Amino acid sequence: MARPGDRLLSSVIRRDWRWVFLVTTAVVGTTCALLIPNALAKAVDMALAGTLDAPTVLWLLTVTGTEIAVDTASIVVAAGLTSRATAWLRHRVAHHLLRLGHPAPFAAGDGVSRLTGDSAIAGGFAVLLVNLGITVVSSAGAVVALALLDWRLAVVFLASVPFGLLLVRTHMRLTADDVLAYQQVSGDLAARLLDAVGGLRTIAASGTAEQEATRVLRPLPDLAAAGIGMWRTQARMIWRAGLLVPTVQLSVLTAAGFGVVAGRISVGSMLAVLGYTALAMGIVGQLSQLTTLERTRASGTRLAEVLDSPAPAHGELVLPAGAGDLDIRGVYDVDLHVPAGTFLAVVGRSGSGKSTLASAIGGLSTPARGQVLLDGVPLSDLTSGSLHAAVGVAFERPALLGGTVADSVGYGIAVEDALVRAACEAAQVHDVVVRLPDGYATPMADTPLSGGEAQRLGLARAIVRDPRVLVLDDATASLDTVTESKVDQAIDSALPGRTRVVVTHRAATATRADVVVWMEDGHVRGTGTHDDLWQHPDYRSVFTGGDA
Amino acid sequence: MDVLRLYFNALTGHRRGVLILLAWSVLEGIPAFLSGRLVGLAVDRGFGAGDVWTGVRWLVVFAFVSVLGAWGQRQVFARLGGVIEPMRDALVRIVVRGVLTDPATHRRQPDASAVARITRHVEVVRDATAGMLVQTRGLLVTTAAALIGLATTAGQLAWMLGLPIVVALVLFGMLLPSLARRQRDAVLAEEHAAEAAGDVLVGIRDVVSCGAEQVAGATVSAAVDRQAGAAVRVAWANALRGLVIGCGSLVPLMLLVVLAPGLVASGQLTKGAVLGAVVYLTTNVQPALLQLANATSTVVLRLMVALKRLGETAPKTTPVSGDEVPDGHDIALRGLTFGWGGHAEPIVRDLDLDLAAGEHLAVVGPSGIGKSTLAGLLTGMMSPQRGSVLFGGVPVDMVRPAVRHKAIALTPQETYLFTGTVRENLALFAPAASDAELLDAAAKVGAADLVERVGGLDATLGHAGAGLSAGEAQLLALARVHASAAEVVILDEATSHLDPSAEARVERAFAARNGTLVVIAHRLSSALRADRVLVMDGGAPLLGTHQELLATSDMYAQLMLAWDPTHTSTSLQH
Repeated sequence: MARPGDRLLSSVIRRDWRWVFLVTTAVVGTTCALLIPNALAKAVDMALAGTLDAPTVLWLLTVTGTEIAVDTASIVVAAGLTSRATAWLRHRVAHHLLRLGHPAPFAAGDGVSRLTGDSAIAGGFAVLLVNLGITVVSSAGAVVALALLDWRLAVVFLASVPFGLLLVRTHMRLTADDVLAYQQVSGDLAARLLDAVGGLRTIAASGTAEQEATRVLRPLPDLAAAGIGMWRTQARMIWRAGLLVPTVQLSVLTAAGFGVVAGRISVGSMLAVLGYTALAMGIVGQLSQLTTLERTRASGTRLAEVLDSPAPAHGELVLPAGAGDLDIRGVYDVDLHVPAGTFLAVVGRSGSGKSTLASAIGGLSTPARGQVLLDGVPLSDLTSGSLHAAVGVAFERPALLGGTVADSVGYGIAVEDALVRAACEAAQVHDVVVRLPDGYATPMADTPLSGGEAQRLGLARAIVRDPRVLVLDDATASLDTVTESKVDQAIDSALPGRTRVVVTHRAATATRADVVVWMEDGHVRGTGTHDDLWQHPDYRSVFTGGDA
Repeated sequence: MDVLRLYFNALTGHRRGVLILLAWSVLEGIPAFLSGRLVGLAVDRGFGAGDVWTGVRWLVVFAFVSVLGAWGQRQVFARLGGVIEPMRDALVRIVVRGVLTDPATHRRQPDASAVARITRHVEVVRDATAGMLVQTRGLLVTTAAALIGLATTAGQLAWMLGLPIVVALVLFGMLLPSLARRQRDAVLAEEHAAEAAGDVLVGIRDVVSCGAEQVAGATVSAAVDRQAGAAVRVAWANALRGLVIGCGSLVPLMLLVVLAPGLVASGQLTKGAVLGAVVYLTTNVQPALLQLANATSTVVLRLMVALKRLGETAPKTTPVSGDEVPDGHDIALRGLTFGWGGHAEPIVRDLDLDLAAGEHLAVVGPSGIGKSTLAGLLTGMMSPQRGSVLFGGVPVDMVRPAVRHKAIALTPQETYLFTGTVRENLALFAPAASDAELLDAAAKVGAADLVERVGGLDATLGHAGAGLSAGEAQLLALARVHASAAEVVILDEATSHLDPSAEARVERAFAARNGTLVVIAHRLSSALRADRVLVMDGGAPLLGTHQELLATSDMYAQLMLAWDPTHTSTSLQH
């Protein structure tokens, strides 16, 4: 049955014609593998006859040498094919995930696992198909070769394989229990370690590391016991699997022995029989490839899910010159004209829809109803570039991307160092940055940032873009009141007369706003100045009940 | 301790287990040792001589020996746990101890993902060691047994046939380091690609708001291309390895085929011996060598890479030093200066401060200015760049650790609660405290109701205080410090999740407790309750009482005004 991912998998093969090389090596390699036991038998018969026949020796040398050469080449061909296909899938998935934008339909962890894990599995599709082909052809070929030597051999082989498999049976269920027990204890240990890691400063200051290590390690004996159980179960499985090969070998060799006595086959052919039996048994060991095929198709489907998700459309318009005049029309029942230069505060309890409104004003999400107009143009009609150049957004928990501190502030735009510095000064984070080991050039990976420091860098990132509208989505929540008011003044002087939309929990911030939008349960509850709204007890409780 | 050395010590420490394992390996090698000989006998005495049943008898012996080998393999597996699990135990122990004694913790946020990465490496080491003991050992045993078998059936050829195999194995061993290097690069490239993608996808909202989809896409693409290149470079090394091993098994076979006719004609070799030699080479040595090469490139290299990564990422522990004994509990800071590096501006500069035993100090200032660093310096977890922190007249970082940890207690902003009873959690710093003392401490900081609500001292807390709010968790951590015998208590924003009145109650409880109290303030109200206030604002530190600072420092007055424009400062005194 065709699955959504199958089309993607077939395009993985079609886009890179070099799979032809792999098939060529496979055909030559399998042919050689099937010829080798026969060539070897001939050579042994020759040796047993006590004569040296050059063509026989050269033929053996040719087929074995060719097989080695072709196998060597196929390693490189297969790796090239797989890695190119994987990279191609990863590029496509990464770019499509970025096009899908925010809010992301796939959780970040899920996206990463599709991009890294599933792409790598699906990228190996061509190699997997060829391997499956090799397995089937060489097993079937080996049975045919046995039949050509003596049809009885093929019959004995085919009859003994099911018998052997019966002996083996699978003991998957047994291991599953052991693995589960091991994983549970392992998880408990990891959780204990994480507890302790969360309290590292307490542990370091009190010198209780040794005592706490003992506490974390308490489940260790259980882990060892579960582990030992796993190995014992494996031992039982190995034992049964170990019985299969001798059973089949014994049956076929005995049949061949009768053939030798009856003169149907030569003594050297005993070796050919051993070789073909091993080749034919190959399919048993490769049965797991069918599981791999299923897994590959599942991965293909997971990738197709990403690639088939429609990306949100962007408009075509470029924003005309303007001062940053906002018109909010029917978004979450908010109808408000925000003249350029206004300081608009959005307040409400947690979960009241403040951030959703800010996200709509910031052009990060398209509201189900209504629209936001910037200088007369609906945000949804603007190109992505034009929109995000005009509206700067800073968040409560910014994700700071980019190699260095300076890169993370100027992320996505080309900007001079002096401007980055000025933005950081406005965001009151310059003093923190210059105290880092390499100042603005310090790699982000080596920069331990507190919540408040990260917030201020995120703020600098919004300021450095010099936007018409600045949206601060609780972007100063981790700052103490002193720093917050400094930031406020600095923005006034760095971006004078800029329209500002500020989501806040703090009464002091709402006091400074020209107009306050009060949200409740996803809708607007009231609009007005802080002093007017303050008369309402419910409004007051937003501040006294929420923020301590 | 070096991870690699520990690993080998752990393995050799179980010498008995390893020896038993090797003893069973001998059994596992018997089929390889006898296979050629038995097939040879079956032909020489049986099928070749027209005696079917003798031939079948030898084949049955052959099958029996194979079953014996499988039995040996079973024993090897059953005993594997006795070697592998103690080794894994040892690694887990060193990792846990390493993480918990990491000296860099005071300056870094606890990194949960790094911990997850380290534990994953330990699991890889476990699996790969098992793989190595099973596969690599088994294949080496098979190869050796087959070569010995070859020597006993066709002795005069053994050297000539064995030499190319040994040469191939040596060459293969020489290729391993470059193979390992490439494999490691590939692992790093893969991790890097996943990280790059993770950063961008976790921050997709920020990417969109910055209009930086192009830049983000380019970053991920570069990491993906790097990974693809690394994968191909591994394949080239693998191909070379395959070639060496392939030739190593081909040369002896060709030599045998060329030399045997003469030896058979002159009667020096029997037909069975020739057949046996071919069986050894083609059914044992050749597959074993190929699998050995494959297993090594996957299992052994995975092991080497994981051990190396473990050595790199596992924190290094440094022995704690110091043997001074303080005289009293006065704290004195003299010209204290501290910064992160040569280029960095100092976080604390030329700070002088005398703190008599029993005094109550509040430290205020904007976030990120280095207040927590001061806490690290006061507890002796960090050493100053210049100047000194004296505790009872001696440098605090040189005080005997046991004395220091007992005398100075720090409650940081991140709360530490662990799975265990409330009693265990509260008694962490005072193991000998009675239930009454613990309950009293809880009552004083305002956690009595909380303790009662969760079910008393015997109630069990989940991981990381699951089910408690951040403020409740902080209350328990504060009760724990209150119950301790510490002479100096430092609260580093330890009340950040409490409401102002609960915070006031906690600070009053600690002020009433005997001993020195340093409060690194989250709210300026803490300053009003302290004997003296230290203001850190990036410039020269200011020190004085609240009233003095109000009178003498414009900045302090501004701070107070900015903090609360609508209330007078007196109304906040609780």
